[in-house]
Amino acid sequence: MSDNSSTDSIADSAVETDGGSVSSAARDHRQTDYLNEEVNLLKPSTPFMRDHLRIVWIGFAVWAVIVFGPVTLTAIVPDLMRTQLPLVGFPLHYFLVAIGAPGGAWLLSIWYARKRDQLDERYGIEHGTAEDAGRPGGGEEAAAADGGVAE
Amino acid sequence: MTGAGVVLQGGLLPEGLNVSFKIAPAILVVAMLLLFLAIGYFYRVADIEGMWVAGRSIGNVENGMAIGANWMSAASYLGMAALIALSGFYGLAFVVGWSTGYFILLIFMAAQMRRFGKYTAPDFVGDRFNSDTARAIAAITTFLIGFVYAIGQARGMGLVGLYIFGDIGLPGLSGYQSMVVLMMAITVGYLTLSGMLGATKNMAVQYVILIIAFLAGLYVVGFTQGYSTILPQVEYGQLIGALSSEFSAPFVNQSYYLWIATAFSLVVGTCGLPHVLVRFYTVENERTARWSTVWGLAFILLLYLSAPAFAAFGTDLYASNIGDVYGDPGMTSAAGDVIVVLAAQLAALPTWFVGLVAAGGIAAAIATVSGLFIAGSSAIAHDIYSNIVNEDASQRMQVLVGRLSIVALGLITTLAALDPAAPIAALVSYAFSLAGAVLFPMFFLGLWWENTNRQGALAGMLTGLTIWLIPMLNEVLPTYVGTGEPYSPLLAQWVPAIGSALVAVPLVFAVTIFVSLVTAEPPMHTKRMVRQCHSPEPMSQQTTAEDVVSGSDSPADD
Repeated sequence: MSDNSSTDSIADSAVETDGGSVSSAARDHRQTDYLNEEVNLLKPSTPFMRDHLRIVWIGFAVWAVIVFGPVTLTAIVPDLMRTQLPLVGFPLHYFLVAIGAPGGAWLLSIWYARKRDQLDERYGIEHGTAEDAGRPGGGEEAAAADGGVAE
Repeated sequence: MTGAGVVLQGGLLPEGLNVSFKIAPAILVVAMLLLFLAIGYFYRVADIEGMWVAGRSIGNVENGMAIGANWMSAASYLGMAALIALSGFYGLAFVVGWSTGYFILLIFMAAQMRRFGKYTAPDFVGDRFNSDTARAIAAITTFLIGFVYAIGQARGMGLVGLYIFGDIGLPGLSGYQSMVVLMMAITVGYLTLSGMLGATKNMAVQYVILIIAFLAGLYVVGFTQGYSTILPQVEYGQLIGALSSEFSAPFVNQSYYLWIATAFSLVVGTCGLPHVLVRFYTVENERTARWSTVWGLAFILLLYLSAPAFAAFGTDLYASNIGDVYGDPGMTSAAGDVIVVLAAQLAALPTWFVGLVAAGGIAAAIATVSGLFIAGSSAIAHDIYSNIVNEDASQRMQVLVGRLSIVALGLITTLAALDPAAPIAALVSYAFSLAGAVLFPMFFLGLWWENTNRQGALAGMLTGLTIWLIPMLNEVLPTYVGTGEPYSPLLAQWVPAIGSALVAVPLVFAVTIFVSLVTAEPPMHTKRMVRQCHSPEPMSQQTTAEDVVSGSDSPADD
């Protein structure tokens, strides 16, 4: 888009002030004006979005296998899937669906949340607590106090 | 009914359930509700004193519990074990759909919604697509979701209420129907009282009470009957071999397709349900939004890994005390819906203890219904009445309209629940189909594709509503006005009401994308709001994407 000249120069100056010590990912981050980069799930436009979506799609693929894999296999090879498991006594298909799918989705969500935290770290992003959020009441005040956007 | 393969009769009566008035369980129900109110009242004070001022915000664990409490309706508490007992392997589609959906919510929507900063479906849709019509459709959808969801809850309350209060015998009504009327009256009373007190629900406390009631039931039944010791959630595996093969055999009465359609529908419904979104309102930042989803899923799993175990114990106890679970006559859906309570009763546990389990189910249902009614009435009073019908509406008129819509919701829910079309979990999943078909695509595309525009959203939502409505008319309407059989069995097979979102979601996506592509792009202001949702820059607690975008220089449009 064409309306980004002022914001870009601010982003650039921020990089110059504390240049050398930051990682390239963090530098990318500082040079990006996120409000001027298109959002399209299939066409990530910023380095951060690309890295984030890689995690999202891997997670989604694994999720699809965990959730719909066992039941599909049960439809294809019922005899194999109905094998009784030693110790726990469950038929395999029942175990994978009743415990495997929900439990797997939970482990996957921990994986994702951690990956996403690591991503923030790599890009030098810190999530503040409520203290730096400005005083109560004015949403707009809070917006102004928040240094997140070029302003 | 396609959902559970059972035939229903008007005067529902769970066979084997001890139907009589019992004082201790009655006290427990009242005590639980009063406790919810009292704690809500206490927290109201804390709220004003400075939820924001003192920087008190809801953290991961607490918000996770709130997410869990949200989920603890009669559908989870009673309905899930019921479908697992009645329909065996098919019932697991509910366990899977209602839990794994949270992962999709987590990776695609939780943090972005937090950043967008609008927490009711009508607000999000109206602001994202700059359209009062879109807002109105979302409001109507919210109202419908509340209504359909509540029918299932009312059925649950009516059935479990029979154990606690007996057959109160209102003239002209069966025992079950009388109980539905009584329970709905109690619900509206609870709602009014909590409104008068200004009580905010304390979801964390509610979660703890309900999960304790449920798990206590499971552990004690398992232990006293020799089924399990410390981990019934896994130990029931040993029992499966001893149960009828219908309990675990795959695709006996329900096809693979129906299984997938149901699970898919429940997953997208989870991501589209308005009351799930609200839970991200109070979190500190988007990181908390993510981690509290992880915690929330853990708290939900506590219930969801336990429900199949409860179903297995209940099925075994039913078979040895009452009769064959499957076949003719088999367990009725009414008995199935109270299997959790029935299991405790058949295990010959003391009345007060069975009452605790039953009270948990009723409290879960009442708390859920009151939340749904509040959301539904605010959609009518705020989003439709004062936004569209009468823009100069005074505060008093708005409140009046809100109250009238609660009464209306109460009445239609009661009527629809007198002779409900399906077991609890199936009824509730109609609401999930609706949320998945209409709201999920709007949330998803609205957040992930900035060029989704007003025309696309309107076309998409109308498509979703239509595709949801067709199987409802085909399958559910005839249970009220016809023979009970679907008008078109073929349609019921491929677009089942219980899983219609499997068909609807791809179509709604296609329509929304196509219409958005052939019409003008949304204004730059809107696009920047969407971009703000994905920026990794931290946002402060009370900021919305709108604030940020308006605050910065945006010389281009508007």
